[in-house]
Amino acid sequence: MLDGLPLLSLIVFTPAIGALLLVFVPGTAHRAIRWIALIAALVTFGLSVMLVGYDPAGAEFQFREDVPWIEAFGMRYTLGVDGMSALMVLLTTVLSAVAIFYSWEPIRVRVKEYYVALLLLMVGMLGVFVALDLFVFYIFWEISLIPMYLIIGIWGGPRRIYATVKFVIYTLVGSLLMLVAILAVAIAHGNETGTFTFSYEALRGFAYADTLQALAFVAFFLAFAIKVPMWPFHTWLPDAHVEAPTAGSIILAGVLLKLGGYGFLRFSIPLLPDAAVTFAPIIIGLALVAIIYGGLVAMVQPDMKKLVAYSSVSHMGFVMLGAFVFNEQGLQGAIYQMISHGVTTGALFLLVGVIYEQTHDRQIAHMGGLNARVPGFAAMFGLFTFASIGLPGLSGFVGEFLVILGAFRYHALVAAVAMVVVIISAVYMLWMFQRAFFTVPSDWMQRYWPKLRDMNRSEWIALSPLIFLVVALGVYPAPVLEMLAAPVDRIIQAVTDTGMTGLGPLW
Amino acid sequence: MDYVNDLVTILPELILAALVLVIITVDLFLPRTLKWLLTPLTVGGLVLAGAACVVVWDVNEEVYAGFYVVDDLSVFFKAATIVVGILSTLFAPSYLQARRIPLGEFNTILVTALIGMCVLASGSDLVTIFLGLELMTMPSYLLAGLHKTDRYSNEGGLKYFLLGSFASAIFLFGVAWTYGLTGVTNVGEVAAALEGGLNPGLLVAIGFLTVGATFKIAAVPFHYWTPDAYQGAPTPITGFLSVGPKLGAFALLVRIFAEALAPVRAEWLGLFLVLTVLTMTVGNVVALTQVNVKRMLAYSSIAHTGYIMAGLAAFANAADDGAAAQGIESILFYVLGYGVMNIAAFAVVGMLQRDTRRYGGLNSFAGLASRAPLHAAAMAILMLSLTGIPPTVGFFAKLYVLLAAVEAGLAWLAVIIVLNAALAAFYYLRVIVYMYMRDPEDEPAELDRSPSGSIALAISVVGVLALGIFPGAVLALLEVSAASLF
Repeated sequence: MLDGLPLLSLIVFTPAIGALLLVFVPGTAHRAIRWIALIAALVTFGLSVMLVGYDPAGAEFQFREDVPWIEAFGMRYTLGVDGMSALMVLLTTVLSAVAIFYSWEPIRVRVKEYYVALLLLMVGMLGVFVALDLFVFYIFWEISLIPMYLIIGIWGGPRRIYATVKFVIYTLVGSLLMLVAILAVAIAHGNETGTFTFSYEALRGFAYADTLQALAFVAFFLAFAIKVPMWPFHTWLPDAHVEAPTAGSIILAGVLLKLGGYGFLRFSIPLLPDAAVTFAPIIIGLALVAIIYGGLVAMVQPDMKKLVAYSSVSHMGFVMLGAFVFNEQGLQGAIYQMISHGVTTGALFLLVGVIYEQTHDRQIAHMGGLNARVPGFAAMFGLFTFASIGLPGLSGFVGEFLVILGAFRYHALVAAVAMVVVIISAVYMLWMFQRAFFTVPSDWMQRYWPKLRDMNRSEWIALSPLIFLVVALGVYPAPVLEMLAAPVDRIIQAVTDTGMTGLGPLW
Repeated sequence: MDYVNDLVTILPELILAALVLVIITVDLFLPRTLKWLLTPLTVGGLVLAGAACVVVWDVNEEVYAGFYVVDDLSVFFKAATIVVGILSTLFAPSYLQARRIPLGEFNTILVTALIGMCVLASGSDLVTIFLGLELMTMPSYLLAGLHKTDRYSNEGGLKYFLLGSFASAIFLFGVAWTYGLTGVTNVGEVAAALEGGLNPGLLVAIGFLTVGATFKIAAVPFHYWTPDAYQGAPTPITGFLSVGPKLGAFALLVRIFAEALAPVRAEWLGLFLVLTVLTMTVGNVVALTQVNVKRMLAYSSIAHTGYIMAGLAAFANAADDGAAAQGIESILFYVLGYGVMNIAAFAVVGMLQRDTRRYGGLNSFAGLASRAPLHAAAMAILMLSLTGIPPTVGFFAKLYVLLAAVEAGLAWLAVIIVLNAALAAFYYLRVIVYMYMRDPEDEPAELDRSPSGSIALAISVVGVLALGIFPGAVLALLEVSAASLF
């Protein structure tokens, strides 16, 4: 029924149209600006829901669009989604709509620029998830960088400039190296076959020379590992999160980090499977370090946002672990964990924002006893705390369980180490929850006590889709796992087709 | 009727020469209040010259007994020259008038320099090339020192003149040496004479030619004149100086290194690679420490020189003609894109110097986004383009160079380029930080909103984005242009 309709282009560029409209709205018309941005985000979400029509048994990439772009270089505007990218697109549109809706109250200065930046950010992120041409992918990857730079730098906290410059430089180094790797891969393929192309489908499955694979893999690795972020490339993340405005944090943790994970699964592994096999033990090692390190550091954080940020390092470690054990459970778990982490962490940042808007403080020690004063808020915080820990019945459990299962099939010891962290995460999350919501109110909190309010209607509305998702994903994961089955099989196929021998000696 | 035909092939140059005379004459009779008419007049003439470029496209002829060649490569350079000329003409008037610098003089000298650049692009004989070089640089010295009452402008102009003429002399010495050893001065014949290989004497010639030419493009370690000349010159003129003479010098570089010295490319490649890496790295590292935007852009233009030189290195290292052509194409695309974005960036700096006591400090950009959102957005796009972020022409230009380098087997050079680009991001983005994330100074610099400047800025930004998103149209022209060398 949708034949001929460029659905993916519509999804990607609807926010851009919204941003363009905003340019012509006077900067003082805050109401109009917010409505336009929200409508653009909701329309995008509405369009992305049509991706549910994806047929898991059908062709690998559906809703394809393919138009020549820069023919001299064999660059084509190719878009398409499989189950994995369709889910990522949905995650992006949901979280973006939530972030835009939530920004209604907190953002009061330069409202127009803010929404333009958020909408352009959506364009970049959505583009990354649907691009099937490496060049187009790279363009969207870079486009997603600048709006976040502005969002942190303009609407962020006191040390925002330091944080945002660090964020940009880190990311840029990685992505530029990746650009060289993309060119090298495309040229190697072009010289061998005679057709110069950046098409993902053409470039994968080609037997690249071992040295090229190793170097290109390292370049891709840097770009994606910085984005994920993997230990030891994570240091920009806590800074960025602490300084970013709430909506920025929601998008950053919810979607931007997933760009890295998605990059590994979509590009690194299928394009360079031999190198992936060779480097897998190292990456698994780094992932384990990230899981434990992130958890331990989160434990001692006095700042709520920083705690959640470090917990992200730990959770994204799970994603990497699942991705590189190369079995069905691990990979499904990794993708599931990405989605679940997006929902729960997005919600946690939103909730931290709710309290921060009232007290302008996020120190856990400055809270206490909130449960008595704002029970609705406390209940929601509790819900997402449990989801983050991985309580069965909520979304976090499914992903973690699957990853650990996959890790066990890889090596029992790896699974054992990963297991320990589930306990650590329970410690830091529950400890934070206890200190902030039970015990007695701190002296600091006493000052705000009379004015403290529970979540208002718009905050409930913003949170409600996330509440629904966190429960639905936890109780009934089957439809999502079904969509993931085929993409995961293909990734495993790409790796096993190489015979799992890895690279030969390079030097 | 050969001479008629010959005249038609140099139509763009003829129009420019006529334009010079027209400007001088009209300037004499225009009352002070109507001097602004010189700007539309000059732009009109330049557009005409640009149209003439279309006429001579695809002519591909050697004229004037082999001293002059009108191939597509030269026409491309001429067209780029004229684009740069039009933008410079539009950006300058308001800044110059605020400082009482006569507009007529500026336009005359500017167009004369453009003629020099055109001759340089078309010179197919070392003698013509030298003539073009001088015809380009002499007016440039004048332009740098055009603000007579300003001592920085004087200093810049003088430094530029002294070091520039020194470099010209060295270059000329190289030309003489080449002639002495090969007995010919025609570019094609020099190349033919070198087919057999190189004798040690020619190595000296190559050395002199390289030093002379790299002086003109301001490559490290021959860049010391740039920051002072650039900082001293009136800002819109700096924009022109950072782009125009560089464009001409790259035309020369392509003609000499990719044509005359092409047979011995293996001999100069090593030296060139060292210069390339040095140029981009030193330019970026020093630019990092600048707090004056004008000076920062001066050093950043050195870094960009390095990126463009990488295209020539790719040409020299390429295994086959296809890859070599890509190296040349990347140079052409880069000089065009760089020309537009850099000239416009300098112009924005100039717009913030309406108050004559201001010298383009980073502080004058503080809070610009709230005072002049459109100008700030334009500057932000230009900075992103200079950084090389898609979808801008700066990104595509860099991509082209990277592609050529990787294709030519210089992947390590590509890595150095991208690391440099990441380094450069730091200081380009700092301008955006100031514009968008800092509060304005107590007495913020007043922004010049003259219509001609705003129009030129709009054109530049649209160009930067259009060439970044749809470079395809230009790419086809590039391919044809570069093909004239093979």
